[in-house]
Amino acid sequence: MTVLTRGAYAAPGTSLNFKTGNWRSTEKPVHIHAKAPCHAACPAGEDQQAWFAKMQEGHAQEAWLNLVTANPLPAVTGRVCPHPCETACNRAAIDGALAIHNVERWLGDEAIARGWEYPVDAPAPDAPAVAVIGAGPGGLSAAYHCLRRGLKAEIFEALPEAGGLLRSGIPRTRLPRETLNAEIERLLALPGITLRLHTRLGRDVSLDELNQSHAAVLLAPGCQESKHWDVQGAVPSDLHEGLALLREFMDHGAFPEARNVVVHGGGNTAVDLCRLMKRAGSEHVTLITASGLPGPGTDPDDIINVVPRELEEALEEGIEILDHATVNRLIMKGSKVTGVEVVSLKKEPGSDGRKRRVSFEGTERVLPADMVIPCIGERVDPEGLNHLLDGNYFWPGTPWGKLEDGVYGIGDARGDRGTVAGAIGDGAKAAEAAATYIAGGQDPQLDTREEMPAAGLNPVYYALSPRAEPPKVPPDARDFGTEIEGDIGRDAAMAEAQRCLSCGNCLACDNCWTLCPDNAVIKTQELASDGSHYLFDLDYCKGCGLCAHECPTGYIQMVPETA
Amino acid sequence: MQDQARLAELRQKFGREPAAPTEPRPGERTPREAQPRFRGLESGHRACQGCGEALAARLVMESAGPDVMVANATGCLEVFTTPWPQSAWRVPWIHSLFENSAAVASGMEAAMKAKGKNTKVLAFGGDGGTYDIGFQALSGMLERYHNILYVCYDNEAYMNTGIQRSSSTPHAATTTTSPAGKERMGKRHLKKDLLSIIAAHHIPYAASASVAYPQDLQRKVRYAMGIDGPTFLVVHSPCPLGWRHASALTIEVARKAVECGLFPLVELERGAVTNIMPIRQVRPVTDYLKLQGRFAHLTRDGDPRAQEERDHLQALADYNIQVFGLAGDGDDPADTAGVTTVGRGGPLAGRAS
Repeated sequence: MTVLTRGAYAAPGTSLNFKTGNWRSTEKPVHIHAKAPCHAACPAGEDQQAWFAKMQEGHAQEAWLNLVTANPLPAVTGRVCPHPCETACNRAAIDGALAIHNVERWLGDEAIARGWEYPVDAPAPDAPAVAVIGAGPGGLSAAYHCLRRGLKAEIFEALPEAGGLLRSGIPRTRLPRETLNAEIERLLALPGITLRLHTRLGRDVSLDELNQSHAAVLLAPGCQESKHWDVQGAVPSDLHEGLALLREFMDHGAFPEARNVVVHGGGNTAVDLCRLMKRAGSEHVTLITASGLPGPGTDPDDIINVVPRELEEALEEGIEILDHATVNRLIMKGSKVTGVEVVSLKKEPGSDGRKRRVSFEGTERVLPADMVIPCIGERVDPEGLNHLLDGNYFWPGTPWGKLEDGVYGIGDARGDRGTVAGAIGDGAKAAEAAATYIAGGQDPQLDTREEMPAAGLNPVYYALSPRAEPPKVPPDARDFGTEIEGDIGRDAAMAEAQRCLSCGNCLACDNCWTLCPDNAVIKTQELASDGSHYLFDLDYCKGCGLCAHECPTGYIQMVPETA
Repeated sequence: MQDQARLAELRQKFGREPAAPTEPRPGERTPREAQPRFRGLESGHRACQGCGEALAARLVMESAGPDVMVANATGCLEVFTTPWPQSAWRVPWIHSLFENSAAVASGMEAAMKAKGKNTKVLAFGGDGGTYDIGFQALSGMLERYHNILYVCYDNEAYMNTGIQRSSSTPHAATTTTSPAGKERMGKRHLKKDLLSIIAAHHIPYAASASVAYPQDLQRKVRYAMGIDGPTFLVVHSPCPLGWRHASALTIEVARKAVECGLFPLVELERGAVTNIMPIRQVRPVTDYLKLQGRFAHLTRDGDPRAQEERDHLQALADYNIQVFGLAGDGDDPADTAGVTTVGRGGPLAGRAS
């Protein structure tokens, strides 16, 4: 090279010899895969963000495969779940939560229609067998997850059909029997699951026998027995308890006649019953609940525990709801009810920190009623389980549901549960704990990652788009057999997936790579060890924090240098 | 026979025929070398944390290079990229003086022409080297119709020498030579409307861009690179030190400058406005001002002078919005919100739907 006589020159790119990384004073950027709020809120343990990501890439089947690593019954939960994921969705504050349940349902239906195979292998012939009591959602999920962990599962069901509460307690307008049967049949056809029908715990088989013959026992008996209900000692002679009435209706298709019906309770069964009775011809149907209705002023803990859209539909159909109220007195003519006295009440904090119900004097009023239906919940049938019950339910106290060595309690039978998704999540956790127990280990580790709040996102980078709305049967055309909420279809499902903000996980949007003034973010073709396509070159990163600030999903966070 | 064994061994190692000595071998490239973009401006430069100018220059080089040469005026960019004996540049690069980068670039372009080469010449300067000191050289370069892209990195003051006001410093901003105090509320005069002066030279293309909109910035660079003649680009580049905002907020500050109308993104061809970036949601200038220490005296409550200057800046922003027709008309994929939208796998701008 010609030597310059004046001035100076430097070889290209030699500044790389100067490591500006030591300019960082306090913080460095790291990739932190925080939990998306939908995932954190999901009782079944689904990672909705992960399967939406597969859909964003255009792979519906991969999305379903990811979904069923947690929940084997998406066509069911897509229809019946109160979707706490949507309540938690960070997009709710922007332009409406994602329609997660509609997409989940579409994936579940698509899997059934196309015959996508569950990602499980047949267990080894000498694999240990686990006994599962009850073929409801919890038991089915437990059996499926045993299979995923290389164990065989034998399900014992007292009734002539599998399905549990899904079959006996949820109307066809919410869950058509064809869907339920199709999904359950696919699950039960998996190699390694044996189903023993007409086999009741305590009558046909005992817990001790099962403990002897099986490596572990997972108890998902559900709640079958009605709790006792009276009002100041009064009980009408023709009392019909809510779930029993619902079961009877689903078996025989008819309700006892009543003009003015009062339903006392605050769950999905109560709302289902109100709507069915109204449709069956009752003139006035009133729901009396101690909880509040969803609204801006309502404390989240105080909101009625009902699928939000079911509540909206009930109001559309003319169900009257008396919130923050209870039945104070039954007005009887002989042993028949002619009316109820209602009083307002609220759950107020007590001196011991627990909420107590306080009824307000002077708010008493009388409603005419010729039928009062209590829907205040059910308890576990204690037959064969007496020594494991604490009061009406199991109270295992750990997420794994351990009651004794090798015995786990699942689903509604746990006092702290109450949804199908919760039962499915319990099944997965109990199967995992049972598998480690059989292998001789301790309880597995819980996922303790942080949750990504809406404040951690940078909303500038997301386009506004409205939430998908599914077709619905109008209120006056609703009957007893047709599903009310329709299918959103492939196009809407794929478009809805594009709305996912990918909270806490890399969107591969290139923002960090494009916006680093120091060229210290490196894009890689291969996946980096943390699952993204970007590396921080800390030799040159000056720690300005620009990448973290402009990361749409909060996947990049600034942490103290020493960490 | 021995060769065959050696060949088999190499195939085993590299999975293909052994490469010729001059051929780059994929196995030996570092992740940095393997990045799918041209690294015209490398790491190791001495820009401050969160420097908008370093980012802007990197973005310009990515879409301009590699067949380019650069003439650089004195200023931050020159100082932080070339602390002798090192250079962050990976293209031929010349620095001479503060006032003459356009003149040096003119000479480089003439030399390329004489040698029959097509290498494009770029001239870089800050706002001091463009609006003030290098202005007559720039005007001459445009008038002589050299095939040069001149890029002005506008950080609105002489940052390199200690934040003195320039003719690009916005009205009411505080600098070391226009301090806010009892007498004045920061700079008394207005920001020079350089783009109109440049456009008056009747050149093929002149545009403003912002680091907050890198896709838009790079599109403008590519467009200018395709023009045989003088082209001019002014890039709004926040300076965390001089504007006194957190280093992580560089992009946010630049974005708000565009969204409030104080820095309009426009394109002019032969002096006529041919394109603007519409603002989807116009925001008040205070959203922009309150992020920056240089405008801190304007955000004090109860000070009538602060109120007056805020209203003055709002009026200037409204004037820009009116003159250039910046207010958006419904959702547009090319407006301020549309161009920043990302999806899984990258920006949505320009992606076939």
